[in-house]
Amino acid sequence: MSRDDPSTERDVDVLSTVGNAEFTEGPPDGPVTLTDSAPVSPSVINRWNPREVSLTVLFLAPAVVGLGAFVIFPLFQAVYLATMGSDILGNPTRFVGLQHFEELFTPDFGAVLARTAGFTLMVVVAGVVLPMALAVPLSQRLPGMRVFRTLFTLPFAYSASAASVVWLLMLNPAMSPVNWLLQLVGVTAPGWTTDSGWALVTVAGVTVWMVSGFNLLVLAAGLAGLDEQVLEAARIDGASGVRHFTGIVLPMISPSLFFVIVTTTLTALQSLGQPQVMTDGGPNGATSTLVYSIFNQAFHNNNSNYGLASAQGLVLLVVGVLLAAVQFGVIERRVHYR
Amino acid sequence: MPTPLGRTKLGLVAVAVAAATAVTACSSAASSGGSGAGGDALSAPAANALDGKGETDITFWHAMTGTNGETLKKLTDQFNAANQGKVKVTLAFKNNYDDTLSAYKNSLKGGELPDLLQVYDVGTQFMIDSKATVPAQSFIDVDSYDVSGIQPNIAGYYSIGGKLYSMPFNTSMPLLYINKDAFTKAGLDPNKPPTTLDEIKADAEKLTVKDGSGNTTQYGFGASLYGWFLEQWTAVANASYCNPDNGRSGRATAANFASDNNVKLLTWWKSMVDQGLALKLDSDTKNGDSAFVAGKDAITLESTGSLGDFTKAGFQVGTGFYPKINASDSGGPIIGGASLWIVGKGKDDAHKRASWEFVKFLESKDSQATWHTSTGYFPVSKAALDTDVDKQWVASKPQFQTAITQLQHTKLTTATQGCLFGVMPQVRKAAENAMQAAVLQGKDPKQALTDAAASLTQPIKDYNDSVK
Repeated sequence: MSRDDPSTERDVDVLSTVGNAEFTEGPPDGPVTLTDSAPVSPSVINRWNPREVSLTVLFLAPAVVGLGAFVIFPLFQAVYLATMGSDILGNPTRFVGLQHFEELFTPDFGAVLARTAGFTLMVVVAGVVLPMALAVPLSQRLPGMRVFRTLFTLPFAYSASAASVVWLLMLNPAMSPVNWLLQLVGVTAPGWTTDSGWALVTVAGVTVWMVSGFNLLVLAAGLAGLDEQVLEAARIDGASGVRHFTGIVLPMISPSLFFVIVTTTLTALQSLGQPQVMTDGGPNGATSTLVYSIFNQAFHNNNSNYGLASAQGLVLLVVGVLLAAVQFGVIERRVHYR
Repeated sequence: MPTPLGRTKLGLVAVAVAAATAVTACSSAASSGGSGAGGDALSAPAANALDGKGETDITFWHAMTGTNGETLKKLTDQFNAANQGKVKVTLAFKNNYDDTLSAYKNSLKGGELPDLLQVYDVGTQFMIDSKATVPAQSFIDVDSYDVSGIQPNIAGYYSIGGKLYSMPFNTSMPLLYINKDAFTKAGLDPNKPPTTLDEIKADAEKLTVKDGSGNTTQYGFGASLYGWFLEQWTAVANASYCNPDNGRSGRATAANFASDNNVKLLTWWKSMVDQGLALKLDSDTKNGDSAFVAGKDAITLESTGSLGDFTKAGFQVGTGFYPKINASDSGGPIIGGASLWIVGKGKDDAHKRASWEFVKFLESKDSQATWHTSTGYFPVSKAALDTDVDKQWVASKPQFQTAITQLQHTKLTTATQGCLFGVMPQVRKAAENAMQAAVLQGKDPKQALTDAAASLTQPIKDYNDSVK
């Protein structure tokens, strides 16, 4: 978020100015010099100077090693595994070509993708709108608002499995407090985890509850950073109510909003703990999303079908990149950075 | 300030990184390595293997929590104290059965293997195929160990081709549980639990209670759609769960889900739910347990392991034999639980022998009596039931007598031995999917069972091909 914060950028500018000043205008025997022999102006440093090259390599190495070990290598490993059949321990044993990818062209996997899309959509829409609806009243400067803000942000501190277990108890078919409350107002509770229509909504609901805390924090910070002068100018110009919100406030916090949409999309896309703990993908696969399916193939029930799991993992990669392309290519055009 | 283009690229990279990290999880666990030890690593050493070796330290991977874990610790301390300077057992807790098996699989690919590990019933065929353990039979033969003291039905599950591969340890059985108070209130005999589907239905009609506004406050029946139960119904019907012969005479090649009995069972279950006689539950047995304890249903199915929790409920709990689909069914339930596997790969004779000594201690009648009375698991040793401490315990928990009688009444056949599959954990999950599809989604039971069995064809074939 700091990249959108003008104060930080100003700080950076000041720092770099100071740095340059020391470098160019400092006394020759000052503490800050780059070379130990004759002073050299930065403009004449040879880029291919062995010393420069080795320094560059040195500085780049940590990032490249990390990226290589944890991103590039696994990516190639996944491609490799996706073309291999494995033994009962999961060791790749024989080349199977595109067989695992062919196995993806089934109605079952199509249903997994459709389910993942539906789940992600539910989580992103509700997980952004709901915190937004809470953040607006919470940004009013009233006594006691800090307490509420803290309370509403708390779900952020829950791990996926802890949140899932808590909600599993809340929605327990036998003694659910939620069902009890619903009954008091005359509503018959649905089968939260047993009805296949509801199960995905239930798991999505718990995910929304989990992401809301963080999203609320980000959106509230965005609202708190609004420029009073702009708001006042808008008010003087006659903007109020909905128009004030959609025309002034929303564009001004659009960087925060965009950030929240991107992170929530990724969180939803990668949800595993919630379907695993709450429904174990059931009833009959009704909550089996893409990442659950990968987990199921690779590790669940003593499975070790790493080939198919890797192929599905590559699908996840493609889906993630496509979504990001859409978000950064289309939605970000409408984001106003100051 | 970066240009919008730069930001877009950065964002794309960030997302690609995030997605690729998800892929990492699959590939990092698949790296190969490790080498097999010689063939004789998997045979039992002689009784004198520990002589002159000083103290042999062995590690035992287990998945016992709570009271079960404490009792195991107590027994282990007892063994260590009696074998000071000779054998020292260190317990390593591995969360649950699935994690224990995953850890074992990863160690086989290059890591520190335990000397002894506890593996759930459905992992049996996989453990044999992992080719890294010493069959218990090998020790039994070397020591001329008397196995007639082990309950034959329990040993039966872990015996393949007449050879006992692992030593049964914590053993449970399914039972039918009833709320006796609810039975009395409904005018039913609390000492006569239902024994068939028809009887459950007849009782459930009387046990289902609605309040003034039409909401059901007590359902007659309610059981989790747990895959293990389908295995039990099949064995009680004396039918094979997988073909041929439950995998007992050769590798099983197909799951036998779509039998007439199973279709009848799921049709019945669905109609019970539709008529409001049965509570709609998922496959999570914790939900099923809490529903019964809360009095939300009056008849349920659970393992003997839940008896302890159930007797703490605010009503009298009764037990009955696991019910039959048809009155004429002549089989009996299969035992479940876990057994002890001695690792041979990369282990010297002293370690293998030390593991076996510890296993023998755990199997002894006194250890089993302690185990049984502290945890509620069924004792593996026949003689344990005759010890004073055990007799007193059963007298105070008469509900457990049902389990003892049930086991003694069950003939040992390939049906009641239970199905062996390398992919048995997946088979159990597929059965669960069929049960959920039929009961919760209203799918035609025959179709649901057929589809679930078909979904296993490829995994079974892949597994069997890779161990040829």
